[in-house]
Amino acid sequence: MSNSEKSGPTKYLNPYIGGVLLGIVLLAANFVSGRGLGASGAIKSALVTAETVITPATSEKSGFIKEFREEHPGNPMKTWLVFEMTGVIVGGFLSGALAGRLKFKVEHSPKITSRKRLILALTGGVLFGFGSQLGRGCTSGAALSGMAVLSLGGFITMMAIFGTAFALAYFFRKNWI
Amino acid sequence: MGPLSVNELISENTNLFLAFIIGIGFGFVLEQSGFSSSRKLAGVFYGYDTVVLKVFFAAAITAMLGLLFFSLFGWIDLSLVYINPTYLTSAIVGGIIMGAGFIIGGYCPGTSFCGASIGKLDALVFIGGLFIGVLIFDLGYNIWDGMYMAKFLGSPKISQTLGLSDGVFAFLLIIIALTMFWVAEWAEKKFPREEY
Amino acid sequence: MFMYEYFLEKNQNLKHMKPLRLLALFIIPMGLIIAAVPQNKTKPYKLTADQLLGEANTRTQYIAPEAVADLIIKKDPSFRLIDVRSQDDFEKFSLPGAINIPVSDLLSDKYTDILNQDVKMNIFYSNGTITANEAWMVTRQLGYKNNFVLEGGLNYWFDAILNPKKPASTSPDEEFAKYDFRLSAGKALGGGLSVQTSQNQSTESSKPSIQAAPKKKKASGG
Repeated sequence: MSNSEKSGPTKYLNPYIGGVLLGIVLLAANFVSGRGLGASGAIKSALVTAETVITPATSEKSGFIKEFREEHPGNPMKTWLVFEMTGVIVGGFLSGALAGRLKFKVEHSPKITSRKRLILALTGGVLFGFGSQLGRGCTSGAALSGMAVLSLGGFITMMAIFGTAFALAYFFRKNWI
Repeated sequence: MGPLSVNELISENTNLFLAFIIGIGFGFVLEQSGFSSSRKLAGVFYGYDTVVLKVFFAAAITAMLGLLFFSLFGWIDLSLVYINPTYLTSAIVGGIIMGAGFIIGGYCPGTSFCGASIGKLDALVFIGGLFIGVLIFDLGYNIWDGMYMAKFLGSPKISQTLGLSDGVFAFLLIIIALTMFWVAEWAEKKFPREEY
Repeated sequence: MFMYEYFLEKNQNLKHMKPLRLLALFIIPMGLIIAAVPQNKTKPYKLTADQLLGEANTRTQYIAPEAVADLIIKKDPSFRLIDVRSQDDFEKFSLPGAINIPVSDLLSDKYTDILNQDVKMNIFYSNGTITANEAWMVTRQLGYKNNFVLEGGLNYWFDAILNPKKPASTSPDEEFAKYDFRLSAGKALGGGLSVQTSQNQSTESSKPSIQAAPKKKKASGG
């Protein structure tokens, strides 16, 4: 069974320093590419690629995919977000390797089982995947990057995400605390 | 004068390559700050770990200030920087659904990639869920495309809507963020938990 | 200095305090500076005199009357004609669908949204080209894009489009093609009758010169 306790406390970066560094990364993204960070869009790219390969028939019918193809002619995987997310995987891996945090495990509160955690993760993922398309971004793309450029839409989405999470926290507390 | 890619000072391929590098920075900082752990991420909603709040707002004010200063020095043309458009209905509804996803799944897309990269299987499963969620949205697009396109307000800035200048709003946000940081410190002292 | 030590001692037990205090110490003055700066300073990029002269010399702002006639006839929604003469002149005669922004009012707030945007092509015109060019220069210097000048102005328009002269029989085919187009365009614009389809192949002036002015493609989100 996966053990969620470690032998010693793992050393994380001071969050304020981390925050400022993240802000610098975000600034760099805007300076270089004229856009902020993002994540959910990469999933969409991957999905479009998968759909056109596996079921070319349905991909033609879908209005959503057609819009995507119009905005991104050519290879749907050759987008800014896909390259960025690939970098995220590499960066996360490097950081984990440096800090000795590389380990296959299911992280969960000791009060629930691994299995339950995985089901919750899947459910959360489905909801987030759907919501991110509707909201045109996730916490990275809409909330964080949106705030940095003072976007009203980004701010509204951010408030909705965090507000809802706070409101529902009580009902899911058993899974975390 | 930035943005480099929009002003065609760098080629599209260089832009994509730099996106990769920026992504490495993104992933590295996220993981270093502990965002690869779903328990840490969910902690802000229960008070035992406010890392999300601190990192998020510190990053937002740093980048915001950075952009405004860059513009002041003439290093970037803010009119060429992407500002997220505001579609009122879908912004709110999407946000609500994402909020639920967050508290249930304990991840968001960016952090889930981070978690997956260090071996967290629940993060991997979350990513699988993301695909399914996007697929569902795509398949049923005709059902909700009305909501998706409703109430388009353009790309207003918060400062515009409040009738403040960008700089004044940035300052206000800084004060709000710092206040929240102090409250977060207080909360963590009140609800201590060990590090994961 | 002693206050600082005292402060530090008192807050020893608060986790992460030092970086936070450092952050606050640094960021508050930065925030004050940026708040104090008037909004204009953080506005977008304007053209320098050199750049403006360069553009004016290459005449990228001109649009041929044939191209404009074509747009009007096709009811192309992507353009907008702006008459920069006085209101009186505008009321006596104006091109179909044109709006009136007298050049003296050019910088008024009510027109900023029309002049500074990247959705439609604005085409300034006046009797000749001097006033229209004035308008173009001023708006271009402010960094506004998508503003053009009708080549030859209304004077040339009347001559060329509404009363085209039949070319001499020794003229090249192009001239006849242009003449044909102008004739039919003139009919369509002067009285709205049938438009011959041959005009589409005949115009030797290629698509309006929007491509000449580099259109910066903004990154899209996700």
